Amino acid sequence: MLNSMLLGRYIPGNSIVHQLDPRAKLISVILFMITVFFANDWLTYGILILFILLMTKLAKLSIIFLLNGLKLVLILLIFTFFMHIFLTKGGSVLIDGGFFTIESEGVITGIFITIRLILLVIITTLMTLTTSPIELTDAIEKLCKPLKAIKVPVHEIAMMMSISLRFIPTLMDETDKIIKAQSARGSTFMTGSLKSRIQALIPVFIPLFMSAFKRAEEMAIAMEVRGYQGEAGRTHYRLLKWQRRDTISIILLIMLGVLLLWLR
Amino acid sequence: MIELNNLTFKYREDEAYALDHISISFKKGDWTSIIGHNGSGKSTLVKIIMGINESYDGDIFVDGEKLTEDNKHQLRKHFAIVFQNPDNQFVGATVEDDVAFGLENLGMPRDEMIERTNYALGLVGMSDFKNHEPHRLSGGQKQRVAIASAIALQPEVLILDESTSMLDPEGRQDVLNILKKLHGQLDTTILYITHDLTEISSSDKVVVMNKGAIVLEGDIEEIYKNKTLLRQSNLKLPYTMVISEALLNGEYVTHEELVDKL
Repeated sequence: MLNSMLLGRYIPGNSIVHQLDPRAKLISVILFMITVFFANDWLTYGILILFILLMTKLAKLSIIFLLNGLKLVLILLIFTFFMHIFLTKGGSVLIDGGFFTIESEGVITGIFITIRLILLVIITTLMTLTTSPIELTDAIEKLCKPLKAIKVPVHEIAMMMSISLRFIPTLMDETDKIIKAQSARGSTFMTGSLKSRIQALIPVFIPLFMSAFKRAEEMAIAMEVRGYQGEAGRTHYRLLKWQRRDTISIILLIMLGVLLLWLR
Repeated sequence: MIELNNLTFKYREDEAYALDHISISFKKGDWTSIIGHNGSGKSTLVKIIMGINESYDGDIFVDGEKLTEDNKHQLRKHFAIVFQNPDNQFVGATVEDDVAFGLENLGMPRDEMIERTNYALGLVGMSDFKNHEPHRLSGGQKQRVAIASAIALQPEVLILDESTSMLDPEGRQDVLNILKKLHGQLDTTILYITHDLTEISSSDKVVVMNKGAIVLEGDIEEIYKNKTLLRQSNLKLPYTMVISEALLNGEYVTHEELVDKL
């Protein structure tokens, strides 16, 4: 299941979208998210869909691939759609089923809100697919730097994020190994009642936590002996370079927002 | 380079000594192997030298300077260490990030970092893997990166704490070959900690530890003169020595010499 998850995965590439500064991508995504809420009719939603299609093309990804990633939020999408169909009133009555009515306004709002959700999921997926986790962490660290003034430990949080990201595959492998080891000892994870299945996971989680703690301790020692003493006096190997195309991307997003405000 | 004077350490008050009055010195440029079975105190020794375990008795001198709480960060710069588990010492998100991590901590300018990183990765033959993520590397490759991370710091002493014990025979040979090359090229002092007698063939000096004490000290030929003591320390003699003992006079022989003599 974890392999089919598109959300949060990174696909290396060298498209123009890949090459954008992660900070520019992060800001652009936030701007787009705001812009999505400006859309209120077919024209404005149409423009946003067009924009997403263009971005997908520029990122050299296939839109089908991205739509596949929506499976994870499919239930949420269907739920939202039907909530609006049944609960939003207004316009002409389309179906009168006695104790419920479906009215035209409800259908239209349902479609719009669903499109809005799809757009939001796709734009964030687009960002994570084209930006490596470590670049994103760097971007977050840089963008959150002002928070240091109010004593938020930005560097430490970023360091924690990057180490956590690095350990995800390691711990996945470990979980796999423990599950196999426990299966070999007669544990069953796929059968039985919900309660017994949850109980069967306890012998997986305890060794996993034990080893995670041990790893954390060894990691801390390894970092300490390599001279890590927090942020003070540290330099950075990875360098984020803001280029003209990054400024352009942000200006484009602002223009998109203004355009939608004007059209609505 | 490093001098230990009457070093004593207990993990808990009611337990036996983890280190029992250890006095020894490690010469500059030497390759010293510290060998002992599990629980003999060899890893504890390293942790104390690095200033990680602090509640010890006795003195440690690094380059003539006494190790204290105040100067441990400073003195640590003389050392770099490669630990046992390749996964738990990989800090960076990619190979080059990991090598640069220690340099970042030193506050080194970026140009110099890039130069040193490339140089260190070249020495261990991992230049082509620069952008790889750790989970795409084999155990041996990860350990090579760990060595690169260590030598990028240009330490005077390189400590390897059971660095090969989680590797397959191929990865193990790989690491040993790289160390030989480094020792020859850079003249780095090496402290090689292991429980495997087959891995000590390149050492200038061997220290055998058992139950927290040094039981034997000398060059390879010397320690093999006392096979009973090695066996008492729960060490398994390499097959070359078993054959030498059974068929020849029991003197130290390498694989090639054994073949010749037979």
